[in-house]
Amino acid sequence: MTGHLDVQRVSKSFRVDGAVVEALSDISLSVQPGEFVSIVGPSGCGKSTLLRLLAGLERGFDGDILQDGKPIVGTSLDRGIVFQEPRLFPWATVRQNIGIGLQNAPINTRQKEETIAAHIALVGLQGFERAYPHQLSGGMAQRAAIARGLVNRPQILLLDEPFGALDALTRGKMQIELQQIWSHEKITMVLVTHDVDEAVFLGDRVIVLAPRPGRISRIFEVAAKRPRSRTDDDLIHIRNEVLLALEGQDRAPQPVGRPDRPLIAKPAA
Amino acid sequence: MSSELAISRSIEQSDLAAPNTGAQLLRRTWRAVVPILWGLVLPAVVLPVWFSGAYWGWLPEQILPTPAEVWGTLLEMLRSGELKMHTGISLLRVICGFAAGTVVGVALGAAMGLSSRIDDYVRPFFTAIAQVPALAWIPLAMLLLGIGEALKIVVIAKAAFVPVVMNTSAGIRNVPKEFVEVGDTFQFSAWQKLRLVVLPGSIPSIFTGLRYGLTHAWIALVSVELVASSEGLGYLLVWGRQMFWLDTVLVSMIVIGLVGFVTDKVLAVVEQHLQRWRIDDA
Repeated sequence: MTGHLDVQRVSKSFRVDGAVVEALSDISLSVQPGEFVSIVGPSGCGKSTLLRLLAGLERGFDGDILQDGKPIVGTSLDRGIVFQEPRLFPWATVRQNIGIGLQNAPINTRQKEETIAAHIALVGLQGFERAYPHQLSGGMAQRAAIARGLVNRPQILLLDEPFGALDALTRGKMQIELQQIWSHEKITMVLVTHDVDEAVFLGDRVIVLAPRPGRISRIFEVAAKRPRSRTDDDLIHIRNEVLLALEGQDRAPQPVGRPDRPLIAKPAA
Repeated sequence: MSSELAISRSIEQSDLAAPNTGAQLLRRTWRAVVPILWGLVLPAVVLPVWFSGAYWGWLPEQILPTPAEVWGTLLEMLRSGELKMHTGISLLRVICGFAAGTVVGVALGAAMGLSSRIDDYVRPFFTAIAQVPALAWIPLAMLLLGIGEALKIVVIAKAAFVPVVMNTSAGIRNVPKEFVEVGDTFQFSAWQKLRLVVLPGSIPSIFTGLRYGLTHAWIALVSVELVASSEGLGYLLVWGRQMFWLDTVLVSMIVIGLVGFVTDKVLAVVEQHLQRWRIDDA
């Protein structure tokens, strides 16, 4: 089975106004084929950067990122991505937007049509094939984006806060749908989120990142059986643990690697 | 599929596909007619003012002919074929000049929008040229090209060229990087990115440029015909003024306005067709 991700001692820095800012520091992580890994952390912890590295959208980092033993160089049809904004092309219909994912797929037109129809059904958008993005609700647009990410059968689907812009009700519904799709498609998924409930509800493992520089602070195994219920005691217990771990980051003294510069004091609460 | 999802889908579906009843058709027609009525308000104000002005002799009759007189001249010029000849010549010049200016303008604008290197090379010179109005180019162009058709077409092409370049380059540059990144994740080639992302994304802006370009082309046409022509609507204007036939002047002004209005509408229809995704079918 393919879809194995191996992140080995990866660091990534950006240059901001002439200063070098370390976004990720010494990240090592292995994702098993078919696993659902959630990455959670406060804003600025580099979680989106990590996901973009996995997608191949960022260049220039230290360490190695391997998919099934081969280094990741640039983007690949083997890895789909869903962004926080749906990023549907406003000039194309739902069907055409999903078809964008099959532009370079080695299949004929009829197979493409069938695949697109199957993925429209998978995300429950039948009847909206010819709708334009501005006619869709936020949840429907994000479903179309998920279908586009899945349509050329990637081995890994990367999700960058895909439900962050949705209202709480729609978000909960979309999480259930995503869980169904994941168990149905049996592909590897890596989800980045700042929503602890979401991370725990969906993940086989929850990776907690600490900020400045982004690094792994804790890893939680979520053993609860699927399909999951939000009221499951195990889930609630782990959720509390994750929340505590995130709060602990705030209280613990921050290991800032540049003692020559004065630290900016946090305003008292 | 969960029942939760099925319910949500049926709600959303009813939002999108409302039943197409007779009352709705009436409403839709009404909604299409209302803006036209609003657009007729100003002409409805101006015409009576003209009538009264001519009737009570606010201005000497030689300067402000009556609407009836202008109407009569219009009919007569239509009958004699004079108006058709002048309009045809002007229209042909605008079409040739506009086409040339647009083709070169879209190509250069696209190159500038796609490559910041080309933009760096061309932008300062282009901006300097753009600041010199079409009318100011006529003396130099006349010496280089003579006073034949080439002069008119080059001046009109230049007038259309400037807004087309500016809007095309801005449109292409402003295509969201996020969309290009979507193309990256699906391994788009440079050509696929251009065809599937950059061009469709910049069509609204390119069309804004085309419509400005067309307006500028008409302005340049009249300028160049005023200076160097013995036929066309601009010439008709000058000739009418010299003979103090203000009815002829007004007829040519009305025809220029009408033809400009119609050509702009034609572009608007083409634009709407290319951008059906922008039309709200509510």
